Amino acid sequence: MAITANEVRHAAARAREAAALAQDDLNAADGKMGDGDTGVMLRRLFEAIAAAIPDQETDIGSVFQACAKACASGTGSSLGTLVTVAMMTLAKATKGRGEVGWIELGPLLASVRDQMMARGGAMLGDKTVVDMVDAVAVALVDVRTRKEAAEAARKAVRETLDAFRNRPNRLGRARMFGERTIGLDDPGMLAFSLLLVAVAA
Amino acid sequence: MKKLMNSPDAFVDEMLAGLVAAHPSLAQEGRVIRRTGGTKKGKVGIVSGGGSGHLPLFTGYVGDGLLDACAIGDVFAGPSVDSCIQAIRAADGGAGVLRLYGNYGGDRMNFDLAGEMVEMDSIQTTTVLGTDDIASAAPEDSAKRRGVAGIIYAYKIAGAKADTGAGLAEVTATAQAAVGACRTIGVALSPCQIPGAAKPTFELGADEIEMGMGIHGEPGIWRDKLRPADEIADEMVRRLLADPVAHGSDRVSVLVNSLGATPLEELFIIYRRAATLLKKEGLAIVRPLVGHYVTSMEMAGLSISIIRLDAEREKLLAAPCACPFWRV
Repeated sequence: MAITANEVRHAAARAREAAALAQDDLNAADGKMGDGDTGVMLRRLFEAIAAAIPDQETDIGSVFQACAKACASGTGSSLGTLVTVAMMTLAKATKGRGEVGWIELGPLLASVRDQMMARGGAMLGDKTVVDMVDAVAVALVDVRTRKEAAEAARKAVRETLDAFRNRPNRLGRARMFGERTIGLDDPGMLAFSLLLVAVAA
Repeated sequence: MKKLMNSPDAFVDEMLAGLVAAHPSLAQEGRVIRRTGGTKKGKVGIVSGGGSGHLPLFTGYVGDGLLDACAIGDVFAGPSVDSCIQAIRAADGGAGVLRLYGNYGGDRMNFDLAGEMVEMDSIQTTTVLGTDDIASAAPEDSAKRRGVAGIIYAYKIAGAKADTGAGLAEVTATAQAAVGACRTIGVALSPCQIPGAAKPTFELGADEIEMGMGIHGEPGIWRDKLRPADEIADEMVRRLLADPVAHGSDRVSVLVNSLGATPLEELFIIYRRAATLLKKEGLAIVRPLVGHYVTSMEMAGLSISIIRLDAEREKLLAAPCACPFWRV
C-alpha cells in the first residue's frame, strides 16, 4: 500500500488531535526559551489545516496545496511559516499524483529540510525543527511499508531529542538564552516529534 | 493574570475591530490595517507588520506621513504570508513599497515570501529592518540585533521622506540611515502574558529588574535587585551613548517609552534624569517623546531610545504626520 490522499487526510486529523493534546506541554517548553505560545499556535494551525483539506480530493499535491494555503493565511510565527514551507514543498513534489510510495517519503522529507534551511536560515546542528526533519528523512531512506516508516520515525525522533537535549540552541530567540537551553528540548523539535508519533500511530 | 477578553482566539480580531471603530482614519481588511484614503498615486508606500501585543505598534502608526498599511499577527507571532502580501498591495501607490519592520525570524520569512509573490505582479519592494536594541547583540554583530521601540523614528522619517515624492531607493536609504542612527535599551520590572497561555512569558522576582530584556521577554544583560530610578536611567543612557553611531550631529531625539504597565509619572522621572545627563554630555534634545509608543501587553518597565539627527532627519522628524497615537 502506498500513501494516498486519504492517508494524508487521516494524518492531518491525527495531527490536529495531537496538537490539541500537546498544547500545554508545548507552551511550557516554549516558555523556557521563548514566549510560551508554540502550543496555542500549533493547535490553531493544525485545526486550520485539517479543516482545509477537500473531502473528495484524490490528488495528493492538491491536498498539500490546500494545507499550504491554510498555513499561509493561518499563522506568521517562524515555526508556523516553516510548516507552510513544508506543505508547499510537498505540494509541488506530489502534484498530479494519486499515490506516493513509502520509499519516496525519506527523499521528500529531505527536500522539505532543504527548503526549510533556505527559508529560515537554520543550519544542521542549530537545534531547531530542521534537525528533527533531517533525522527522520535519513531514518526513512529505505522504508517500504507504513509499519516500517512508523517504527523508523518513532525511533529517530526519540534518539534525536535525546541527542540534542544537552546542546545549546543556536538560532532565533532561543539563541539568546545561550547555555540556559542546555538540558531543554527545543519546542519546534518537540512539536514535530509529538505530531509525528501521533501520525505514525 | 487577569485580562479583559472574550476568548484567546478572538483577542486579535476583536482588538482590530475596536481600533478601526474608534479611528475612522483606519480601515481593516482581515489582519491588515490600511489608511482609509489609500496610498497616494505615485508615492512610495511604507508597510510594516509584526505580532499583536505591542500597541500602538504596529497598526497604530498607520496614517498620514507614517505607514500606509500594516500586517498584524497573533500576539507575539508574526503576520501570515497572506497578510503581508495584502498589506504590500494596500500600500502600493505605483512607486514601489518599502517593507520596514523589526528583525525577527518569522517576520523576515513572511515578508520575504510575500515580496517574492508581489514581484510577480510587478510591485517593486525593498526591505529595511529595525535593529536598534543594543542589548541583543554586540556592535560588531549589529545586523543580528532585534528591533524595538526605535523603529517608530524610522516610520516617521521614512514616511516624511516618501511624502516629499522621493523614489523608492531614496526612501529606503533614508530609512536605513535612521535605523543606523538609533539605539534603544529596555529594562523590565514585571512579566507579560499572552492571552490563553497558562503562565507569564517569564518570571522576575518581586524585587528584581532585568536590564536589556526584549519586548517578548528575551533575556537581557543582567538581572538584579530594583534600584533607584536615577541609577537605572544613568546606566541606560551611558550604555546607549557608548554604542558607536556612524553619522550624526550633537542633536538627538529621545524616546522614553512605557512597556505597558509603567505609568507616565515614572517615565517622566526617568526622562528628567536622562535629559540632564544628555545635556551634560553636550547633546541638544529635539522633539522628545515620553509615553506609551511600543508596549508589551502588561509588562512593567520602559525603554529609552536615542536617535542622532542630521539636518535631513531633523527636518523629516518635524514634518506633519497624523495617526491615532502620534501627531506632529
